[in-house]
Amino acid sequence: MPLISVHNLVKEFSGQRVLNGINLEVYEGDLKVVMGPSGCGKSTLLRCLNRLIEPTSGTIHFRGQDITGADVDIRALRQSIGFVFQQFALYRHLSVLDNVTLALLKLRGMSKAEAEEKALHELNRLGIATHRDKYPSQISGGQKQRVALARALAMDPVVIFFDEPTSALDPVMSREVADLINQMRAENVTMLCVTHDLRLARQISDRVVFLDEGVVKAEDTIDHLCNAHSDSKINDFFSSGVRGQ
Amino acid sequence: MSDWSIFRDDLIEQMPLILGGLGKTLELTAIISLTGFLLGIVVFYLSLSPSRFVRSIIRGYISFFIGMPLIVLLFLIYYGMPQWGISLSPFTVAVLGFTFNVAAYNAAYLTTAHNGLDPVEAEAARAQGFNRLQIFKLITLPQVLRLSIPALTNQVICNLKDSSVAFLIQYTEFFARMQEVAATNFQFFKAYFFSALVYLALVSLIVLASRALERRYILPT
Repeated sequence: MPLISVHNLVKEFSGQRVLNGINLEVYEGDLKVVMGPSGCGKSTLLRCLNRLIEPTSGTIHFRGQDITGADVDIRALRQSIGFVFQQFALYRHLSVLDNVTLALLKLRGMSKAEAEEKALHELNRLGIATHRDKYPSQISGGQKQRVALARALAMDPVVIFFDEPTSALDPVMSREVADLINQMRAENVTMLCVTHDLRLARQISDRVVFLDEGVVKAEDTIDHLCNAHSDSKINDFFSSGVRGQ
Repeated sequence: MSDWSIFRDDLIEQMPLILGGLGKTLELTAIISLTGFLLGIVVFYLSLSPSRFVRSIIRGYISFFIGMPLIVLLFLIYYGMPQWGISLSPFTVAVLGFTFNVAAYNAAYLTTAHNGLDPVEAEAARAQGFNRLQIFKLITLPQVLRLSIPALTNQVICNLKDSSVAFLIQYTEFFARMQEVAATNFQFFKAYFFSALVYLALVSLIVLASRALERRYILPT
């Protein structure tokens, strides 16, 4: 049984269809990479999966349970999904350590000592514990993304979503994020990553899902998609990446 | 300069009353600064409500109390309400009138600061599973308050200065007492110059406190 199973998902914003019948499955231990041009609905898709955005129709099964209904405990659902944002979204008034402990203290009800132990464990795992007392403004973009990932991991999520994790980073820092994702993959963390960064996609996965105009256009290896695909949209998107390599 | 010695003697003679007035000025300023601050936070929270109805009520509240001259509001409650059978003490009227007015201003300052925040942090908190009140308490408010320290302390200065208006509804604060000093010896310039110096000294204290507060809570850049 897939961990996440999306069936015929539709999202309309004031009459405009951003998602036009998405079908997608994520299995435990998967690293699913969803690619597509800007505005294809990638971010909307991620936000529908944890109900930050309410889907218009279709079903989303999370561990076998339909989570599109009105009686679903949305906050419990969100707590089991780690979310890493493009712009890092660290809480700027809190230190690195406090960014990670906040949810443990307030949502999990841990004691301060327990929460700090757990947070330091995750920060150590990502090699950033030495910066524990710094504020987000005092660390680099790559370090911020490590903290954001540590904040997500600390809640022991079932799956981690990455929303364009490298688009605010230079190539060196992007490489850092790719290494992190590969590290998580080696530790068997289930991940769903949306990106338009073909370099990142190549570094973390050989297969991608291609999303365009609100539907899944293709699910294939990057090499196949890059080699003169019959679909002109796919061709346009991936050929730029061939030159880039 | 015998004038000055007469004035000084009157000042010393009436000093207990003047100090009492000063105490009432400080009491009123402290109370309305606190109540106006707390109500301002509540009004600001409600202004972020998902309900369009609540938001429009709050917009109306802010426009009404910012648009209404304070003196009119105080007279309305102090002299107008007794005709409906509601008589309140000068102190109560001053606290009520000022609180509604100051809260409206403070809520507007907090809203301005909130407009400058990056909404992605609140979204991240939502994605983590926090509820609306938790996001407000843990993420939004701490950031908004830091950004608003200059505006909020400025409002405290306004509160101190405006508290002198309360003498018009029989609240015998510092300025009312100084008018009495002036009336006993007709040394108007000296009495009001002395008043000005006292207000300036108090405002300086608030400014110093505000700077200390800013240094304490400023975020590293």
